[in-house]
Amino acid sequence: MTPKERVKAAMNLEKTDKIPLMCQFSIGHMLMQVDVPPVELWFDKDAFTNSLIELRDIYDFDGILISLHGHDPNWKNDVVSSNKIKEIIEVELVNGDKIIFPKNDLPYYDYYFVKEKFSISEMDFSDLPKALDYIPVSNNLHFKINQNFKFDAITDLISSVGSKYSIHGEITSPFDYFLDLFGYQDGLMALMMEPEKCEYVLSHFTKLITKLSLEMCETGVDAIKISSPFAGSGFISPHDYKKFVLPFESEIAKSVRQKGVHIYTHTCGAIGDRLESLFDSGISGIECLDPPPLGNVLLENAKERIGKRGFIKGNIDSVNTLLNGSEDDIIKDVQNRIKIGSKDGGFILSTACSIAPEVKREKIQLLRKIVDNKI
Amino acid sequence: MNETVDAIGVCIEKGKVNKSSSYPIDLQGQDGADELTLQALTQNIAPDEILKTCNDAMQRIGDKFGRNEVFVPELLMAAKAMNTVMVHLKPFFQAGSIKTKGKFIIGTVSGDLHDIGKNLVSMVVEGNGWEVIDLGVDVKTAKFLKAISDNPNSFVGLSALLTTTMANMASTVKEIKMEYPKTTVIVGGAPLSEESAKIMGADGYAADPQSAVLFLNRKIA
Repeated sequence: MTPKERVKAAMNLEKTDKIPLMCQFSIGHMLMQVDVPPVELWFDKDAFTNSLIELRDIYDFDGILISLHGHDPNWKNDVVSSNKIKEIIEVELVNGDKIIFPKNDLPYYDYYFVKEKFSISEMDFSDLPKALDYIPVSNNLHFKINQNFKFDAITDLISSVGSKYSIHGEITSPFDYFLDLFGYQDGLMALMMEPEKCEYVLSHFTKLITKLSLEMCETGVDAIKISSPFAGSGFISPHDYKKFVLPFESEIAKSVRQKGVHIYTHTCGAIGDRLESLFDSGISGIECLDPPPLGNVLLENAKERIGKRGFIKGNIDSVNTLLNGSEDDIIKDVQNRIKIGSKDGGFILSTACSIAPEVKREKIQLLRKIVDNKI
Repeated sequence: MNETVDAIGVCIEKGKVNKSSSYPIDLQGQDGADELTLQALTQNIAPDEILKTCNDAMQRIGDKFGRNEVFVPELLMAAKAMNTVMVHLKPFFQAGSIKTKGKFIIGTVSGDLHDIGKNLVSMVVEGNGWEVIDLGVDVKTAKFLKAISDNPNSFVGLSALLTTTMANMASTVKEIKMEYPKTTVIVGGAPLSEESAKIMGADGYAADPQSAVLFLNRKIA
């Protein structure tokens, strides 16, 4: 089996010659492992995609997840100045925004015009975005999607390595766009105070995200990941999950599945009380499945409960096992996951959350050796 | 206990902020924490009696949160209702008729821009009678150290949402303990556990805001 076929078979819940291995990278980890300036890794499509390829080669993963897309080829025209101060780089853009780039983490934006967050009680629905031109990467951090070069990062990777490796695109859940729009705190309270308005906003984003997803399918991606980190019980109740997340992610999942492309959800933390509901959306699988203490479902139990409804991509603890664990800890932990995961197929070995920035390269390289029984 | 004070407790537990608040449905159109606190003060009910009711109500909602019977939105609503009460009680704190229990410095650690957990803890701790010094998000260790230096005998809370920033939290705890070994540091956040808190040298771990309050209150008991 080629790596691409291996991942595909796992997503189709078919037998694989060995467990597919494919972790997702944090930007911090990429920065610490490749010799690319942080500004370029963030803005430059080629720097980003080449880094993904380089890291795949280093770790011998079976696929690549492309977490950012829509890079502006003329990004350098927007940069007024760039200064290195100790270990950080401070960049000023023509619009007055200042960006601080650490050597091991996501950039931090100091916006010149600070946009006030929307208020659910005072909002005018006509102010909602008409096009999806940003990815809400983190709190106060958007990655702009250039509408003319929306999927170049994805098509480039597909044309260079897509025949051999599984290439996955990424979209963000309507619930994340919603929380980003109002602010996490006010957004969560809005669910209680103005549920109908919240549903309207979620529905609005769902239409935009569905359109983006269907366009992404046309690039030839093997799968699409829905980033939905706030849909777990660390944040909302099962009832609110069913009301404010499930219907909207279902709409996206069904559209993508109709195109024959796999789609899976990444929800962080505890999901034990909604594991079956996640699959009610029609997704092909889940990514993450955080093990305890962050999560509350063991892999064995999850496999039993999910059965043939979909695949699991996870569930190595990036911090407690890979960052803080010894080589022996890692071997024991990963071998155990492979033993449980390989039963009846439908398992892709990866970190639950992204690989933490400080995890040593040698520790990630161990994963391939364990999968290939070379340890 | 006085009926108005009891009703304040119900409003906090249920997250009923004021009369115009549409949440919760079963209290729609009724007075909320805002109006009831004013009424209680007009009835000359002692401010510390009102505060005790708030603490008890937050304890109840905190316990429910710990048992997964309510989730973050409900807790936020309760904290919002309690903050409304605190606005009315603030003059009594300032006049010294209610004493604060101590100072609590809190911030989200370096590299982490998330504030929801930190804010929840801030609100609940403040509502429990502590003076909270909120340093914000992405707080570098030096900022924590300066705040400790400016506020001797304060307690410190570190928050993180991202798994990836746990390493930064550990180094902040280490540096605080090196510089101010007697300072009590409590940590909390989604990726943490009792065990990871111990490993990084923190004095305590709070799985939820109420645990933070209980921990702090134990320290001054």
